[in-house]
Amino acid sequence: MNFLSLFVRNLVHGPYTDPFPFAPAPTAARFRGKVAFDPETCEACRKCERACPTGAIRFERTPEGMTFDCWHDTCVFCGNCAFHCPTGAIHQTADWHLAHLQADKYLQVEHGLIPAIVCSSCGGKGLDSAPAIGKIKPPLSPEETQELRSLCPKCRAKYLKDRRQRA
Amino acid sequence: MTILQKFKDIAVRSPWIYRINAGSCNGCDVEMATTALIPRYDVERLGCQYCGSPRHADIVLISGPLTRHVVDAARRVFDEIPDPKVTVAVGVCPISGGIFRESYAVLAPIDDYFPIDVNVPGCPPRPQAIIEGIAQAIQVWRQRL
Repeated sequence: MNFLSLFVRNLVHGPYTDPFPFAPAPTAARFRGKVAFDPETCEACRKCERACPTGAIRFERTPEGMTFDCWHDTCVFCGNCAFHCPTGAIHQTADWHLAHLQADKYLQVEHGLIPAIVCSSCGGKGLDSAPAIGKIKPPLSPEETQELRSLCPKCRAKYLKDRRQRA
Repeated sequence: MTILQKFKDIAVRSPWIYRINAGSCNGCDVEMATTALIPRYDVERLGCQYCGSPRHADIVLISGPLTRHVVDAARRVFDEIPDPKVTVAVGVCPISGGIFRESYAVLAPIDDYFPIDVNVPGCPPRPQAIIEGIAQAIQVWRQRL
């Protein structure tokens, strides 16, 4: 009897083999795959670079701004960068299609640029990074965020101090 | 010439796979075994078969960051494999060293020591990714044969 029920069940279910190279493979929604970076929301705090156990993430200061590079060929998909990111600018996608030919080895890079700006208040050097808001109360309005983005770090600190005193 | 071509067409359908563990933590080896042995992934659908002897192999899967202890043995086994062979580096360790990068005990990246053709990054890569890498290796092998 047991055999018969198994037989019928397998007949109804069909083969258990994943049809992968000929059809898309099932992937969990929270699968930890390729790292994706969003320069719009990055604070440039470089916590991810410090948390990365393999040194896959590297920030570099260039005349154009701060560049972000994550080499997928040395990333171990641990998720420490996404865990420590205060703004969620870095996260892992469910993309695992990483097999590549040797010629493309050094092209497997996620690249991002946080552009350099001239401070709108003092004319000094700054980065168009998202403001490090932390636990600011009351929360910044979109206009205030826009204004903070155009300031250099010193003017940002001054702006936030003035704002605290006003509140 | 046409007979030779015919042989090549037949041979390319069934590459045999050999694994070299160059100091791996066994994570990638488990995934490679899973790729081959579990009906869910079943790399034998692509005509591949794991073989026990390096002399029968066509595609070599290397895992591990190539520790100093294993480099001699790995080289000797690698030289046993007849040409033309296609080498696949499985996991981030052979590709760049991964978590062991810049350690005194490992010689990664492995492409300083072995001619690598296909890289499959991941820690470990999932079985489907290994199948994807093997599919690319078969393409390379087809050109090389």
